Amino acid sequence: MTMLGYQNKVLRINLTEKKASTEPLRMDFAEKYVGSKGLVIRYMYEELQPGIDALGPDNKLFLTTGPFTGTPVPCSGKLSVAAKSPATGTMNDCSIGGHAGIRIKFAGYDMIIFEGQLAEPGYVVIEDDEIKFVDAGDLWGKGSHEAESLLAEEYGREFSILSIGPAGENLSNMACINSDYYRQAGRGGIGAVMGSKKMKAILVKGTGGVKVPDIVKTTDRILEILHEDVLQEDNTFVYDSGTTAFLEACNDGGILPWKNFSDTTDEQWTEYNGDVLMESREGKRGCGSCGLGCGNFLKIGDAVCEGPEYETISVAGPNAGIRDPYAIVKFNQVADDMGLDTISAGDTIIWAMEMTEKGLHDFGIKFGDGEGMLRLLKEMATRTGVGAQLADGVKIASEKFGGTDFAMQVKGLEYPQYEPRGSWGMSLAYAVSDRGACHMRAYAPNEEVFAASIPPYTPEGKGQMVYNLGEFNAIKFSLCICDFWGTISYEIMAELLTLVTGREWTPEEMGEVGRRVLNIGRAFNQREGFNRAHDTVPKRVVKDALKSGPAAGQVIPPEAFEDMLNQYYEVMGWNEDGTMPEELIQSIL
Amino acid sequence: MKVTIVMRGTLRKAFGAEEKTVEVPDGCTVDEALQTIGINYREVKNFGFVSVNNMRVMISDPVNDGDYIKAFSKVSGG
Repeated sequence: MTMLGYQNKVLRINLTEKKASTEPLRMDFAEKYVGSKGLVIRYMYEELQPGIDALGPDNKLFLTTGPFTGTPVPCSGKLSVAAKSPATGTMNDCSIGGHAGIRIKFAGYDMIIFEGQLAEPGYVVIEDDEIKFVDAGDLWGKGSHEAESLLAEEYGREFSILSIGPAGENLSNMACINSDYYRQAGRGGIGAVMGSKKMKAILVKGTGGVKVPDIVKTTDRILEILHEDVLQEDNTFVYDSGTTAFLEACNDGGILPWKNFSDTTDEQWTEYNGDVLMESREGKRGCGSCGLGCGNFLKIGDAVCEGPEYETISVAGPNAGIRDPYAIVKFNQVADDMGLDTISAGDTIIWAMEMTEKGLHDFGIKFGDGEGMLRLLKEMATRTGVGAQLADGVKIASEKFGGTDFAMQVKGLEYPQYEPRGSWGMSLAYAVSDRGACHMRAYAPNEEVFAASIPPYTPEGKGQMVYNLGEFNAIKFSLCICDFWGTISYEIMAELLTLVTGREWTPEEMGEVGRRVLNIGRAFNQREGFNRAHDTVPKRVVKDALKSGPAAGQVIPPEAFEDMLNQYYEVMGWNEDGTMPEELIQSIL
Repeated sequence: MKVTIVMRGTLRKAFGAEEKTVEVPDGCTVDEALQTIGINYREVKNFGFVSVNNMRVMISDPVNDGDYIKAFSKVSGG
C-alpha cells in the first residue's frame, strides 16, 4: 500500500558496516500515526528492544518527516529527531526547525534510520540516492557553528547540515543537535546519541518533490487557509517578537521563575524584556515553508544568536539572577556552539549556583555570574574542570552532591521555564510527559494563565485539561506543524491531510491519532519499567510556597498533585499505578 | 477614581500602544474599566488576560485608584 504525500520509502543506514539500504515505509503505521512524532514513536516501539543502552550500538537515530513535509502546507518544515534518551531512559522525540526535513523528503525519503556506530569519527552525506561516509578529520572537537560553516563551504548551501558540538562528542546527557546554526533538536541528550555513533554531522540534499492528488486544488486551498487562519494576530505575534513576548506575560502571570525556581516574578523585568531585546535585532528568518518567520537575529557587542527564545531568556536571566541582555544572548550563542540544550544546561548551572550559595557544595558559581555560566558551559561540553561534575544534568549531579529537593527535573529531564505553582496544570504536564519535564507536550499556561478566566491554583479539571492539550499537540506535531500555528484546528488538519494524501480524514480521526500517540509513548516507557512512581514533581513545588507576584503563597499540596495524576490516568484509561492495561497496548499497535 | 490602561502584544496594533489614563467609577472591575475605552474583551478574538500593577488578576476583579492595568493578547507555543 502507498499513499500520496509520502515518499513511501525509508533509508536505513548501518554505520558499523557503512552500508545503506531502502525499504517501504510501514504504511500500516502511517495509517495509525500519520507521520513525524507519532510515526517515529511507533517505529521506536517496534525496533528498539527494551533495556538497550541509549549510547550503545543498539540504539538508533531516527529522522522522520510527515506527509506535509515538502508541500506548500504552511509551517510544516519541522523534522522529528528521535532515539531512546540517555538522560531519561525513555523514548525521546525532538522537533527541529530549519530546512533539513524538506531536503530529506526531496531526497526521496520519509524517514532515515541510523543504526550501529562508526568506528572512527565521521559524517554522512546524503544526496538523493547517493550515500557517502566521510572521515570527520579535525572537524571532531570543533564547535557546532564552525563545523557547519566548514561543511557548508565545502559542500554548498544546497545541503542541510545537522551537526553536534563538543557536548555531543563527549556524550553529555544535555547534548543537542543543531541545524542552520541556531535550530536545535534540543532535549534528552539526543546529541549524545549522535555522538555515540561518532557522527559529527549529517548532510542532506534532495532534488525531487512530493506528489499530491491535485496540486492546483491543494495550493489554492492552502493559500486561502494561509490568509484566513495562519496570518492572524493570534499567530503573527511571533513575527514581531518571537517568544520574547512571553517574558512579560510570564512575569505578570506569576510563572517567570527566579533563582532556580525559588520564587517567581522580577520587579526589574523591563531591563531584559522583549522590547529591549528587539532593539538589538539585526535580522529575521523562518523555516522552510513557514508563513510566520519567528526567528530573530540579535547582536549585542560580540554576542550573536538567533533568539534568544523565552526559555533561554528565563534560564540565563532571572532564573540565574541575571538581568543583563548581553549575558543572556552570549549564553545562548555559546550553548548552541557547544551543542548544549539551553534549558537543561541552564537548569543544571542554576542548581549549582544554589548549591554553592547554600554551602552544600562549591561549584565556584553563584547567582548573577554570567561569565561563570559561559565557563561552565564550555567545561560541561568538554567534561573538564568543575563542569565535568555537571555534564550529565541536574538529576545525576544532585544524586551525587545532594540538593535533590531543588533539582528541578522529572525522569532526568530538567524543568522548562514555567513555574508550576503559578500554573498547577503544568506540574501535571511535566510529570506525565513521555520524555520527562517538557513544556511542549501540554502547554498548560495557555489555559490557566494566558486566558482570561480559568483558575490556575486548583487541581480541579486539570487531568482533562492536560489531556486535551496533549492530544492536540500529539497530532499537530505528528503532522510536522509548527507550534506557532496556534489557531490550527482538527478541521483544518483533516482537510489538509485529505488534500495531501487523497484519503478522506475526519476531524475526529485527528483526535484519535493524538490519543494513540500519547499512548504509544507511554507503552514504550512502560516496557522500560516506567510507571506512576516516575511521574513526579520536584519537592520544592510541593513544599515551599512562592513569596512574590500574583501566585505568592502558592504551593501545590501533595494530595492535589496526586489528585491531578489520578484524573489524568482515568482520562487515559490507565491503571491507578500508571501502567497501561495490556488490551489498550494491543489496540494501538 | 483614575486608572491607567495599556495594551500589550498584538492588542497594541488594534487599540494603540499608548497609555490611557481614564476616570472610572469606584468599585468597578477590570472588565468595566476596559469598557470605558471601548474594549469588550468578549468581542476581541485574540484577547488573552489582564494584569494589575504587573500581577495577573481575573477580569472580574475590582480595581483601585491609581491602578496600572495591562491587557495582553493571546500567546501560543512555548
